[in-house]
Amino acid sequence: MSGLTHKNDVSQKNKKEIWYKLDLSAIVYPTLQRKDFSSVYRLSVVLKEEIKPDILQEALDMTLQRFPTYKVAIRKGMFWRYLEPNNRPGPFVAPDIKNPCMPMPFKANNRYLLRVYYYGKRISLEAHHCLGDGTGGMCVLQTLTAVYLNLLGHPITPSGFVLDINETPHPEEMEDAYMRYANAKVRPPRPGEKTYRVRGTKEPFYTLNIIDGIMSARAVAAVASKYNATITEYLNAVLLYALLQKQEADCPFRKHPVKIAMPVNLRRFFPSRTLRNFITMVYPSIDPRLGDYTFEEIVIQVHHYMHYYINEKFLRGDITTNAATQRNPIIRIVPLFIKDFVVRTFYTKVQDKNSSAGLTNMGALKVPEEMKPFIERFDIYMGQPFSSRTNCAIISFEDILTINFASSIVETDVERYFFCKLVEDGIVVNIESNRNTDEGKQI
Amino acid sequence: MSYCVNCGVKLDASLKHCPLCQTPVINPNIVSSVSETPSPYPSSKGQVEVVKRKDLGILLTVVLSTTSLTCFLLNLLVFQGSLWSFLVIGICICLFFFAFPAVIYTKTPIYLSLLADGAAVAVYLYLITFLTASSRWFWQIGLPIVITVVVLVELFTLLARKFSFTFLTGSLYLFVEIPLLCIAIELFICHFTGSPYHITWSAVVLTVCVIIDITLITILTKKRLRNEVRRRFYF
Repeated sequence: MSGLTHKNDVSQKNKKEIWYKLDLSAIVYPTLQRKDFSSVYRLSVVLKEEIKPDILQEALDMTLQRFPTYKVAIRKGMFWRYLEPNNRPGPFVAPDIKNPCMPMPFKANNRYLLRVYYYGKRISLEAHHCLGDGTGGMCVLQTLTAVYLNLLGHPITPSGFVLDINETPHPEEMEDAYMRYANAKVRPPRPGEKTYRVRGTKEPFYTLNIIDGIMSARAVAAVASKYNATITEYLNAVLLYALLQKQEADCPFRKHPVKIAMPVNLRRFFPSRTLRNFITMVYPSIDPRLGDYTFEEIVIQVHHYMHYYINEKFLRGDITTNAATQRNPIIRIVPLFIKDFVVRTFYTKVQDKNSSAGLTNMGALKVPEEMKPFIERFDIYMGQPFSSRTNCAIISFEDILTINFASSIVETDVERYFFCKLVEDGIVVNIESNRNTDEGKQI
Repeated sequence: MSYCVNCGVKLDASLKHCPLCQTPVINPNIVSSVSETPSPYPSSKGQVEVVKRKDLGILLTVVLSTTSLTCFLLNLLVFQGSLWSFLVIGICICLFFFAFPAVIYTKTPIYLSLLADGAAVAVYLYLITFLTASSRWFWQIGLPIVITVVVLVELFTLLARKFSFTFLTGSLYLFVEIPLLCIAIELFICHFTGSPYHITWSAVVLTVCVIIDITLITILTKKRLRNEVRRRFYF
């Protein structure tokens, strides 16, 4: 089933009638929208020269025409939400703020679901998750950067994440790829175990604490290979180790398994050019009730978990399970407000309790050769966590690997255990943070 | 650039404390440069744009006022048996005041909007008196109960906003106010029926609530106990 619905094909006259169904993942995100929470993620690129806002605005206006599923507004239907093209003025670039990923009300910002900020040498793109995942967002950001550099007189040849803005969008870029591949014969059950949850002091509204660890990608790869693991497996193991230490320090009445929610980019297994969501979650975990795990044992556990679950067969089964609800004819005719209530309750009571932290790894980013000299590094933030916990996002470019923690709690124990373990393993970690440096002792 | 002596991480030059462990950065060689290095993050905080609900406000006002007016005219000209339109008008007034802070003027102080809600309910009850034989029930029971509820809700809001509001403190405020409301209702009923002032069923509510209140105060004052309860009732 295609996510793109043309009521009347590409005729200019009927352009208004084009609308897009939300993809399978995107259905959930608007449901979780609260006054103080939106599923917003942020991607940043740090260039080597100061950003010129007027050129950036021009580049943004030119770029967004190429991404019809990002130049949209979300609307409510009787049974589902949908996206419709947004031709209102904007979005407008703005100076960056201290509290990224702040809530994004659907009716604010001229109904645009993305924001572009600039600060010093950095361009940041914030997008609501209902538009697309990190890969889609990265295409928008890299294309925007390429157009910006082009306007500054540095021609960039489109390739990889950089799309040609003069090209007509390929229909596959707008498809709901889940539906194409949700065809397994069985539907494996969803994991639903109560896990350890980091408890902390909630920060006031409009606060997102960020701690960035910047390090050498080669150094991390060398340490990971010492444990016979990939970078993702190693960093997953470090985060599990940090969470286990945190649980130990909390002296809980009863211990719970420690689990990480990790999105997997399905494009690696199921070919698709979609710029919308095409991810699924896997949950590497350690159960401390079985005994004390050494770090080496955690790495082995994570390594085998990844090999067992992250493959085409299991992932196909997983997306089939997820798609089954949307395909169910009875569920389809239930009014939206009831669906919202049920989904929100399920997410709060089950899904959110299913993991102790989030971790995503965008991997080593590729950019066109001509762009390389202008780029310092990339950053990625998973955004505000739904409950009081911390989210970790990893991205690397050339030899710079950045680990970005975003949380809305005061305590930094998990981040501290995490980075201390990396330091222990001999990795030099450079820390940057938006936490108030003048306040000193906050905890 | 300094290293945190506690965590061993390299800290950005703009940081005065390690963000991981809050250990201060003390480097006697570069005392002055710390304040001069700009932070890699901006210092100004963003604000979410306020969504204008003007259209919804206009629609709501038009729909409610039209409903009131048409029902009143229908009552006046066609179905003249009783003043039934007052019931509809009363509901429209209540709905308007309930929706006012959410739709028309979002900056309305909460205390004022609660007062307005109470007044709207009182007006609705008063309009009902035109359909009943006497208005004594309104003056002796209806209005006093509405006033008591408004006072208690305002008090609850004040406590929740001025003092810490957790599950435990919220429960304490609630269980203090419930018996007060019950006693007031019983006394208003006594006054209405002309019987001597004494409390019966509300005394039972009072006893139960006092036990709950004392338990909650004990839990709240003993930190160890409070933590134990939090751990045991963690969900």
